[in-house]
Amino acid sequence: MVGSNKGIRMGTMVLVYALLLATVFCMLVPYLWMLSSSLKLNKDVFSFPMQWIPAHPRWENFVDIWTKIPLGRFIFNTAKLSVIVTILQLLTSSFAAYAFSKLHFKGKNVLFLGYIATIAIPWQAYMVPQFIMMRSLGLNNTHMAIILLQAFSAFGVFLMRQFYQGVPDELCEAARIDGLSEYGIWARIMLPLSKPALSTLTIFTFVSTWNDFLGPMIYLTKTDLKTIQIGLRMFISQYSAEYGLIMAASVVSIIPVVIVFLALQKYFVQGVAASGIKG
Amino acid sequence: MNHKRLYGMTFATVLSLSVLAGCSGNNNEANNAAATTAPSTGSNASASAEPGQDPVTLKWALWDWEATAYYKPLIEAYQKEHPNVTIEYVDLGSTDYMTMLSTQLSGGADLDILTIKDIPGYSNLVKQNHLEPLKGFMSANSIDPSLYGGTVEQIEVNDEVYALPFRSDFWIVYYNKDLFDKAGVEYPTNDMTFDQYDELARKMTSGSGAEKVYGAHYHTWRSAVQLFGILDGKNTVVDGNYDFLKPTYERILKEQEDGIVMDYATLKTSSTHYSGVFYNNSVAMMNMGSWFIATQIEKVKSGESQATNWGIVKYPHPEGVEAGTTLGTITSLAVNQKSKHKEAALDFMKFVTGETGATVIASTGTIPAIKNDEVISSITSIDGFPADDNSKAALTTVKTYLEMPMHEKSADIEVILNEAHDNIMTKNATIDEGLKDMNTRVQELLNN
Amino acid sequence: MQNETVLQPKKAPKSLLSKGVRDHLVAYSFIAPNFIGFAIFTLVPMFFAFVLAFVKWDGSNPMEFIGFDNFTRLMRDTTFHKALWNTIVYTIGVVPFTMAVALALAILLNQRIIARNFMRTVFFFPYVASLVAVAAVWNFIFSPTMGPVNNILHLISGVPIEDLPRWAADKHWAMFTVILFTVWKNMGYYMVIYLAGLQGINPELYEAAELDGANAWRRFRNVTVPQLAPTTFFVLMILVINSFKVYDIFINLFAGADNQLNDSTRVMVYQIYNTAFRSLDYGYASAMAIVLFLLVLGITIVQFRGEKKYGQ
Repeated sequence: MVGSNKGIRMGTMVLVYALLLATVFCMLVPYLWMLSSSLKLNKDVFSFPMQWIPAHPRWENFVDIWTKIPLGRFIFNTAKLSVIVTILQLLTSSFAAYAFSKLHFKGKNVLFLGYIATIAIPWQAYMVPQFIMMRSLGLNNTHMAIILLQAFSAFGVFLMRQFYQGVPDELCEAARIDGLSEYGIWARIMLPLSKPALSTLTIFTFVSTWNDFLGPMIYLTKTDLKTIQIGLRMFISQYSAEYGLIMAASVVSIIPVVIVFLALQKYFVQGVAASGIKG
Repeated sequence: MNHKRLYGMTFATVLSLSVLAGCSGNNNEANNAAATTAPSTGSNASASAEPGQDPVTLKWALWDWEATAYYKPLIEAYQKEHPNVTIEYVDLGSTDYMTMLSTQLSGGADLDILTIKDIPGYSNLVKQNHLEPLKGFMSANSIDPSLYGGTVEQIEVNDEVYALPFRSDFWIVYYNKDLFDKAGVEYPTNDMTFDQYDELARKMTSGSGAEKVYGAHYHTWRSAVQLFGILDGKNTVVDGNYDFLKPTYERILKEQEDGIVMDYATLKTSSTHYSGVFYNNSVAMMNMGSWFIATQIEKVKSGESQATNWGIVKYPHPEGVEAGTTLGTITSLAVNQKSKHKEAALDFMKFVTGETGATVIASTGTIPAIKNDEVISSITSIDGFPADDNSKAALTTVKTYLEMPMHEKSADIEVILNEAHDNIMTKNATIDEGLKDMNTRVQELLNN
Repeated sequence: MQNETVLQPKKAPKSLLSKGVRDHLVAYSFIAPNFIGFAIFTLVPMFFAFVLAFVKWDGSNPMEFIGFDNFTRLMRDTTFHKALWNTIVYTIGVVPFTMAVALALAILLNQRIIARNFMRTVFFFPYVASLVAVAAVWNFIFSPTMGPVNNILHLISGVPIEDLPRWAADKHWAMFTVILFTVWKNMGYYMVIYLAGLQGINPELYEAAELDGANAWRRFRNVTVPQLAPTTFFVLMILVINSFKVYDIFINLFAGADNQLNDSTRVMVYQIYNTAFRSLDYGYASAMAIVLFLLVLGITIVQFRGEKKYGQ
């Protein structure tokens, strides 16, 4: 009886692993295909049966893309925006979250409810007046527009506040008795404690700014200001038949987010769990 | 009505004011914005004295700087005569160029010279009061509109002109001589009816999979397909009745079903550019604008185009219409009404759209708006232009219909036609449904 | 560095402000940086979205107040109805599919299995990878005649390649393709949220159930599902909102170089974008946006009711 149970377990395990392996494979195929195509001549990209490892890898593709479009400029723009937005978002969100979680003041609950309610309103519903407003402030076609638009999200405040709720109040009380100001508590106690939540917010913010499409599409119409997503799309429509180059540019556009993600991922699930965005 | 206006104005003021209140600083910008909500009446007091002395920097809005051969030579030629003027370009990209331009101008961008890509976008900019009227300037500088072969009259709005053409392109057929040789089929000629073109395309289709050769190729633009219908001169696309397009759509969809041309939806989802399929020898013939001549010559030289042995012939035409009847499109320059260097900008516009500009443009293989024998022969003598006589003769036209005629509502009509065209070509709608959709929606628009 | 501030509270009585007011000021100073930005760039535009919906405005000529005209026009606008319908179909396809896959993966990857972290990374990765790039790859892989997918299908089934589905280019398969793509792209994100939820479940509950002789299915049914209810509601809410505001996926998968969608792929945000930025009809676009907002709001309210009723 124990034996057969074990047998079933073994069987399920094998099945589960086979299934997982197959799924993992399906998940990875597009990237492998991207990588392999990025090293091919256009005419070989669609040859069938396909050659996963090109016999004569064309490294030139990775050289050519930098001259075909201002890819360096696009990456610089995107990196600049992503870094600034992420830093601002981390600072202002954790700052506000501290007040919502650990301080008492009039209108706290109403204000917080207001924040939460706006999470449910799609940005697309007010992007038009927002655009008109930015335009009348003279911010159209500036990076500042994207920064202002992305840097103050309700989501960030919500996420950080949920995490701070998990930090015992006694810790703050003790610090207050030791004579630390509220600013000091935030800087010396809360921030170091909230590494997982900050990592989570960093990943979310960085990724969403890096990959933002509609925002830059509306606000950044000059080629020198464009971000990698818009630039890549411009590249695809201009050189649609240059399959190898398109794939090379795609590979390049993905690398920075991979780096940020891998650097922070050990905190990641932990951060999501602790911040309680589970609800 | 007036009542409503008043309401609207109040709203606008409230909006601007609260925006002002909402933020500190930047008062200047916000005031500008408030000013733009009312039709501006300010005179151009800011223009600097005389063009030709003080250093001036002009900003020129254009698209595809890298891919276009004539921008740089034009600027260089102008700066040789006017060393005090610096011209900076602002590349807004070719996707949705006119939308981007209008967004820029509404945002108060400090652009001086504006390239106008199409008529619908032009009519929008005129409506929004972004463009400087030119009639006065033209008579003061004795610019003769008749030089432009009738194109200036075609962009008149209420007896005023807001742009001058510098390029005047028309549609021709490009073909790949090697593919014809291989198939043992006679080259296309300068006098083909639609039926003959169709027949030739069918003859030239062969192979399958990656080896497939398509007899013809229609790019995903509406103009590449739909406008065959207007070549008999009996209808226009701004009248509100589109039933006359049925035979055209029937023929093209039949070709698509028979695999004579590539599938529209596939071309679209893969964003396939027409140049790519011509370069890699997968289409035998392709109808396209004359702007592609310069690109094709250049890409053959750089080795990107493998269709090295090619030619051009006149556009196919309906039965009973003279060969050389074709579609045309003009590209023009305009000056931003709010430009701070209006006179310098007007001077540059005059140069580019004038005869010197035309010579520079022609030397890059592009057809300028001022088109005389000299210009044509300078294009055909460019190194890399097909050597056969038919290709040279293909550049003479007898009648050109504008892709989109000037109409107060052409921008909105364009949107409707594009949508219905897309639905027909992707078979989201039958031909009848699609045409009916065009009829009802455009008529509703025209009646409003 | 902190010393000066530390001393401040003790001198407080001498200050002009009472302690209560001071505490409030400190609290507000924490909130201010975020709130000011948030109010100007989110709340103000939200308010004006409502105002704009009742005017006719092209962005440069004077505004004209037209009451509910924009909304009555919406009722007759068949193009908008198609966009609305497509958005709903897309949402109905994406939401349950994503939830099921994300939950299944989260449960599997919450077990002690080999290479767990590696797999988590693999599943989460499409979410971080740039949309434009992966959409291009998908369009290549699913390309009707040249792509590997149809070539493999052709090899297996023997059906001529011309008769196979043309995926994104096929009006019957377009919606299926985009749903599949969305699930692939975003399931990792929801998987992580579910993982977090699973880690919050007290292990003793499982032990107790096991002692009671509950099998794996019953443990799932009686412990996991109810314990995960709050997570599920959160996931459901975010998923629905995100599906309603979809735009970039459709543009990158279908629109081609001229950014144009057709009747089988048109979605609401595309209509809003087109109306505002191409037709310069800001008022009408805002009316559409209000409809979008009301729909999302309505669904969210229904979900909250549901959560109150079944959640706890």
